[in-house]
Amino acid sequence: MKRKLMAAATVAAMTASVAACGTGGEGSSDTLTVWLMTGSAPEPWLDELNAAFEEEHGVEVNVELQEWNGIQERVTTALSEDGTVDVLEVGNTQTPAFAATSGLADLTDLKDQLGYDAWYESTLATAEFDGRLHAAPWYTANRAVIYDKAMWEEAGAEVPTTRDEWVEALQLIEDNTDYEPIYMPGQNFYVFAGFVWDEGGDFAVEDGDGWVGTLDSPEVEAAMEFYSQLQSFSDSPTDNDEATPQQATEVIPQSEVATWIGLPWQAEAALDALAEEGRDVDYGYFPIPGKTADTLGSVFLGGSNLAVAERAGNKDMAVEWLTMATSAEWMTKFAEATPMLPNQEAALGETEEGSFLEVMGETAAYGEFFPLAPGWANVEVVPNPIKEMMTAVLDGEAHESAAGTADAELTERINRD
Amino acid sequence: MSAKTPDVVAAPDRQREQGRALTRLLPYLLIAPAVIALGLVLGGTLFRNVLISLQEFGRRQLISRTTEWAGLDNYVEVLTNDRFWSTLVRTFVFMAANVVLIMVIGTLCGLLLLRLGKRMRLVLSISLVLAWAMPIIPSTTVFRWIFDTQFGLVNWLMRTLGFSGYDQHNWFDSGLSTLTIATLLIVWTSVPFVALNLYAGLTTVSGEIYEAARMDGASAWRIFWSIVLPIMKPFFLITTFLEIIWVFKAFAQIYALNGGGPNRASETLPVMAYVAGMGQQQYGIAAAISVVTLLILVVAMSFYFRLILKQEKEQS
Repeated sequence: MKRKLMAAATVAAMTASVAACGTGGEGSSDTLTVWLMTGSAPEPWLDELNAAFEEEHGVEVNVELQEWNGIQERVTTALSEDGTVDVLEVGNTQTPAFAATSGLADLTDLKDQLGYDAWYESTLATAEFDGRLHAAPWYTANRAVIYDKAMWEEAGAEVPTTRDEWVEALQLIEDNTDYEPIYMPGQNFYVFAGFVWDEGGDFAVEDGDGWVGTLDSPEVEAAMEFYSQLQSFSDSPTDNDEATPQQATEVIPQSEVATWIGLPWQAEAALDALAEEGRDVDYGYFPIPGKTADTLGSVFLGGSNLAVAERAGNKDMAVEWLTMATSAEWMTKFAEATPMLPNQEAALGETEEGSFLEVMGETAAYGEFFPLAPGWANVEVVPNPIKEMMTAVLDGEAHESAAGTADAELTERINRD
Repeated sequence: MSAKTPDVVAAPDRQREQGRALTRLLPYLLIAPAVIALGLVLGGTLFRNVLISLQEFGRRQLISRTTEWAGLDNYVEVLTNDRFWSTLVRTFVFMAANVVLIMVIGTLCGLLLLRLGKRMRLVLSISLVLAWAMPIIPSTTVFRWIFDTQFGLVNWLMRTLGFSGYDQHNWFDSGLSTLTIATLLIVWTSVPFVALNLYAGLTTVSGEIYEAARMDGASAWRIFWSIVLPIMKPFFLITTFLEIIWVFKAFAQIYALNGGGPNRASETLPVMAYVAGMGQQQYGIAAAISVVTLLILVVAMSFYFRLILKQEKEQS
């Protein structure tokens, strides 16, 4: 939010200047501009890839790292201009929205070159729009439960296989220790999404030509009940999400948290931050438990695609770079260097036992996506009506009224392109 | 001789006339760069903004570079939206509360500055200047942390003082509470302007007047009411209008505190326009909101300019 502000002036000035640019391309043939999100690509992998690319094509690659916060506005602006960016990483939930604007190059004819057939089918859903391919899947990651082995042992809690066992374990920590059983911000909407899918519910359904919000439903209400139950074990306020304050680096190192839910790189970041505080912590990982022991909890299959900008200054080279980065050879190296799932099975090496990656492999089959509507991206922008609903319910408002308000807003936004 | 005279007389006349023309033009020439710069920077932007407000303009239109004229649709949508009207009311109440507090506290501080001894005056002046000089985003960030739910200073202080219920008190859980903190922040940074200017103005008032009033047995309140206020009337009027404009368009403080939340309950008009435009990429709607905001400000400004013009007339 703060970063967004630095760039903020009055809306009048901003909108006008955004609209005013877009003339004069600055694309030159011997450099390539690539936008990646912070934390996505490990630096050694990226350096090696770019050096290899430069050697083969004689084109220098200029990587510009972007923050997730406020990314939609920046991508919108960049895609409206000529030659600002050649290749860009797009979050998978946002890809349909940008594909619908025709700002992403159509890659349908390049399927063979890109190795389309080797990709995980589950990740393709977000890269294709109206039967055309607009991006190449790059990596996915899903959430798992991260627990402090020593704290759990001290409380006498064991790794659960069902939701009930999970709650029992948290209760043991609450009763037997002074630790915070679980850190659960009020608006961890990606975790909440998993609970909704566990109930067989969803956030919106197609209705005729458009979409309708389905928050005011028994499924979502049940999911919210379970979320409230977990949240009651946490000291966290009800109006923050996992990113503000950043749970891995700003909350965990400052508190005695026994359990939290996060992504692989967040676990790594938290361990680094804890080490900096002089705390030696041993983390274990387990899948978010399902309602019964024979199933796991649903998870949002988060991840990123790589796309070529329609107005790239250097489109041919952009396609070459994208092909190389998402190829089996480079994805294998990628998988070795990061805890993320690569875009194809062939690239996945052996996973260490008890590692985050192993847990992610188990849960991948329970991965789900948000409604694949171009307007979904509008729902996720601040203020996200689903997050507002979560806070309202946690603060005691009846589900029906909070969900009704949120449904109205969601329906309005998801049908906007 | 006599035939030549007009020529001789005419030469200096022409020169004088040229000189006079130059003198007449000079003010305009001097102000021209400022006007041209304003025209280019503000005028151009404003013109684009009005154009955008008449279009259906979102992410798709921006990227695909299509222009879809929508007439007054955006204005109709804004003006028929309940949220717009409640935000408008909220903006005015917020502004009024802030301006009153700023003027009252600022005036008291200004009077205090006049009364204080040399050393304490220096201390107070420095604290005022520091508050005035504080950049907006850092001070807002500091306030955000002071009132933080988990790690905040205020909650710690309340607990330490023995108040219950401040273990996890969320100061940003309602629009009112959020705007109260915003008020604290804005008043704190705006008081110095009023206080220092009032003090500067008061130093030009001769001490004899006060002395005479005191001899006549006037109370402090009476002195303020019958002497300070009439003498400083232009100052009070102009400062009040300036503060109205400043608070009305206050954006960064409110947005950085809580993003206009919870659930958009602390949004004022500028924040609402920003959320609609930069947040939800509905640039057409955002432009319409900002045009309406601008019109409201123009009305306020017109009073301000009338005051200034009236004063100039009185002085000349």
